Amino acid sequence: MADAAVIDTPPADSPGAADGSHGDHGGHRTSLGLSNMKLAMWLFLGSECLLFGALISTYLLSKSRFMIELLAGNPKVVSTLPEGLVEEFIEAGSVEPMWDIPFTSGSSFILLMSSLTMVLAHKAVSEDDELQTKVWLAATALLGSTFIAGQVYEFTAFFREGLSYDANLFGTAFYTLTGFHGAHVSGGILMLMSLLYMAFRGKLKSDRAETVELVGLYWHFVDVVWVLIFTIVYLIP
Amino acid sequence: MADSAVAESSHDTHDDHAHHPTERQYWVVFVALAVLTALEVAWSYGGLEGVALVVPLVVMMVAKFLLVAGAFMHLYFDLKLINGRLFSWAFGFSLLLAVLVYFVVFAAFDRLTWWPF
Repeated sequence: MADAAVIDTPPADSPGAADGSHGDHGGHRTSLGLSNMKLAMWLFLGSECLLFGALISTYLLSKSRFMIELLAGNPKVVSTLPEGLVEEFIEAGSVEPMWDIPFTSGSSFILLMSSLTMVLAHKAVSEDDELQTKVWLAATALLGSTFIAGQVYEFTAFFREGLSYDANLFGTAFYTLTGFHGAHVSGGILMLMSLLYMAFRGKLKSDRAETVELVGLYWHFVDVVWVLIFTIVYLIP
Repeated sequence: MADSAVAESSHDTHDDHAHHPTERQYWVVFVALAVLTALEVAWSYGGLEGVALVVPLVVMMVAKFLLVAGAFMHLYFDLKLINGRLFSWAFGFSLLLAVLVYFVVFAAFDRLTWWPF
């Protein structure tokens, strides 16, 4: 259906018209030069930036408040953790002793690698290479699942050390931030599995390349958020 | 010029990919990301504190962010396709608003220790 906001061809003096490229795979182009679907995905990712921005800010404020209270010896905060963990936190002056950096670095590397396999899947579907499309989509889903398995292992280890979700402000903020990210990765895996199912049914051809690109945008966004979380939460004390 | 634009739009799918990175470039970006991650971890074990620790980590984090967003998300290539003026205003205003919100939130929680007021 025709829409006043949608045009079939870009203005003659637009950048897209100038070089004949419009970043579109069959969807309607908007006056911005991108397809409606791609524009919608970018707007969605913009709203996700606000969500994760709020979660990261909350984590930083909560951890700061938690450490101030802990170092001041506030009994209400000290009593929320096992004695050994409290001593380690006070000695280090931060929550750093909690982290297993080599393990989390491995998880980060796996997620970065999944971004590579995702772009290779998009490239393969654009070139109608069915086998490569299936291989790279399956590899991306597998790498994402490995990351989630690592997160479950990490959460279990932290819980056994005495940091539960409702123990204190730090525990709540940490699990909420990383848990939301894990939920997003899980959602991405479901999208990838759907694409893989379409590929095996022979319904994922080059005319659907933009669908793979949109899932890719979501997947890379999740990767970018982890880049921030890894540095801000784990590496900066 | 308008006619040529219409004619060119019929084969935009392939033209679009001509503006995306090649497979080799994707691998180069991935290797750069892996090296930056290794550098980040190594730096965090360097025994440094304060600005000497945080600033390089933040710089490497931003570099990784730009690599993923620019190359893998095709943002660098798509920005060339869209209406620059409208997007620049929208993007610039959003970024300014986000920074202001962060200042307000951190000020509200008394975490701007360097703030003179």
